[in-house]
Amino acid sequence: MIGKHPLVVVVGSGGVGKTTLAASLGLASAAQGLKTLVMTFDPSLRLKDALQVGDEARRRAAPVPQEGPGQLDASLLDARQTFDRLIETYAPDDAARQRILGNRFYQHLSGSLAGILEYMAVERLFEVAQEGAYDQIFLDTPPTRQALDFLEAPARILNFLKSPALPIARREWFDAQGKLKATSGLGLFGRGIEGFLDRMIGVDFLREVSEFFLSFNPLYEGFEERAREVAKLLSSPSTRFLLVSGPGQERIPDALFFARKLREAGHHLDAVVVNRIHPDLGVGATEPKEGVDPQSVAAQEDGRALLRWLGERDRLGVEELTSLLGEYPLIKVPMLGDEPTDLASLKALGTRLAAQLPG
Amino acid sequence: MDGSPIDNLSKHRLVVVTGKGGVGKTVVAAALARAIAERRKKVLLLEVDPRESVHRLLNVPPSGGGVVDVGAGLCLQNLRPRQALDEMISRQLTVGLVARRVLKSEIYHQLAEGGPGLKELGLLRYAADRSEKRGADRRGPFDTVVLDAPATGHGVSLLAAPRLVSEVVEQGPVGREAARLASFVSDPAKVAVVVVTLAEEMPVQEALELREMLARRLGRQPDLLVVNGLYPPLEGRLAPTGVEGDDIALDLWRRRRSANEAELARLSAAWQGPRVDFPLLAESRGFDLVAALRQRLDGPFYDGGSPDTTRDGAQPKAGWSFS
Ligand SMILES: Nc1ncnc2c1ncn2[C@@H]1O[C@H](COP(=O)(O)OP(=O)(O)OP(=O)(O)O)[C@@H](O)[C@H]1O
Ligand SMILES: [Mg+2]
Repeated sequence: MIGKHPLVVVVGSGGVGKTTLAASLGLASAAQGLKTLVMTFDPSLRLKDALQVGDEARRRAAPVPQEGPGQLDASLLDARQTFDRLIETYAPDDAARQRILGNRFYQHLSGSLAGILEYMAVERLFEVAQEGAYDQIFLDTPPTRQALDFLEAPARILNFLKSPALPIARREWFDAQGKLKATSGLGLFGRGIEGFLDRMIGVDFLREVSEFFLSFNPLYEGFEERAREVAKLLSSPSTRFLLVSGPGQERIPDALFFARKLREAGHHLDAVVVNRIHPDLGVGATEPKEGVDPQSVAAQEDGRALLRWLGERDRLGVEELTSLLGEYPLIKVPMLGDEPTDLASLKALGTRLAAQLPG
Repeated sequence: MDGSPIDNLSKHRLVVVTGKGGVGKTVVAAALARAIAERRKKVLLLEVDPRESVHRLLNVPPSGGGVVDVGAGLCLQNLRPRQALDEMISRQLTVGLVARRVLKSEIYHQLAEGGPGLKELGLLRYAADRSEKRGADRRGPFDTVVLDAPATGHGVSLLAAPRLVSEVVEQGPVGREAARLASFVSDPAKVAVVVVTLAEEMPVQEALELREMLARRLGRQPDLLVVNGLYPPLEGRLAPTGVEGDDIALDLWRRRRSANEAELARLSAAWQGPRVDFPLLAESRGFDLVAALRQRLDGPFYDGGSPDTTRDGAQPKAGWSFS
């Protein structure tokens, strides 16, 4: 997989280790002499330290100071920063920019508005793909629990743009005097609903919300085209997907869900990576060697029992995943004692992983 | 010194359980709800997750949207946020026909889905009402409502929503409602906030950010921090047994535990309030897991005394009490 495919997308539910795996694969790719980019969301502090990229990586791709034949750049995405950046790029003029930045909803919600991060990711991916400056890109996807929000973002936005609801949200609600305009086109009950809105929710609220949506008008316009391009890129045979799953049985429904979604969308899933698997210690092997103090063994029994149980839990989970997702190669990554948080350990992990990935 | 964390939580009308996805919020919320109900309180455990899981933790049939009696003073309900908002709105519209039209209209749908903070208002109003009066289903009022907060966005956006909306909407029923709820959630005597985390870097980072946002946006602190999923302490128990596989287990145990301890130390440096630690347990059945964690709530807790660390690092010794 390393080097063969220009775009590798790493998906999976939150907290399974996508970001770490994407970064380590990036290092392995650069180690083979490629010019590689890792795009990642919400990296942990230690991972940022490990990659030795500072906050400038939030604005543009920054070089990771690794030795080796190739080059690795990292680009960090977070919702608020990308949002600000978009407004800087697209706001028609300074007054509009100031108005958006001063909008109270914007100030408090731009970081948590549903779907925004995915939307931004699509924009960034489009930019980078357009430039074509990299041999290979590893894309870590935003932390969602059980949805392929990111992959669905282009289609969703396209649908949204076509839906009859959008003109309502983006409507010019207010006339030049700041009065609510007559709401023609809302059908028979338009007047009653307008009265309701005014009475219940208040015109001010509506004004702020509609201004918020309106401020993105220039953005929506080019987005349709960009979203279509990104959708094409994501389902092209040269874009490959890696699905990362946690080991326990309770994670299986999430993994099946992702696999099904990818299949339905016509994406190319190359392998399932089961991360953080506890070692299988075998059950019942508790007879200590001769000469070992039985009391010290007894004192450790709770911890050993827990680890045996975790090993057994993960073994069963992996077995079940293998039988349910047998058509994909299953790659096992053990639970490491120490999280890989320096370049050397990340690279070691990446190289090992890369060796197991299908060609 | 105050009583145990459960004594404290059971004095509140609403207990909001929040934290990063997957850290064990639902399991912890269920354990807290059981423990509070055992204080002879009537408790409603509210889950806001379409994947409905809390009934399995308490061995009852799924809620399907309604209130289910678990017994021993505890009820549960799986609530859709939209359902709560619709209820709040239709209560304000006294004429049934008007209410139906409004709820069906495209513009209301747009506002409900996209209007920032509205669903959160509906949820909080629902929870507040449940602790105040008898519901249409003739249940309640409940002494305490435990809310397993939805995992979308930051947990604080739920609690910050009333203030945000009330700043923008000053009049009208929604504006007044937002103002009422804003003072409700910032009243530490009525609403308690429980932050759940794992002793791992990312969750701890988020827990600390959450705490800072609570202080900045709501002027309040969490009432309890729950650290979940800890590997057992080692305390010099590391003699190799020579049993095959044990060396791997010992090594992993030692390293994971020391990572846990480093994060616990980071937490105690930043947070001196009440804290309960939950071990990682070898339980695959949710019901047994909740029962076991509930037991732990009677055990020692960290009551916010000055953190004293042992030589090897992190285990706070001073300030631990027994309820
Ligand atoms: N202390 C523990 N010991 C062992 N297993 C645990 C413990 N706490 C939680 N779990 C397990 O971890 C998984 C996640 O727990 P839970 O569903 O409560 O998390 P959550 O924070 O509610 O997740 P979400 O954000 O997805 O709603 C469950 O399978 C649960 O059984
Ligand atoms: Mg949950």
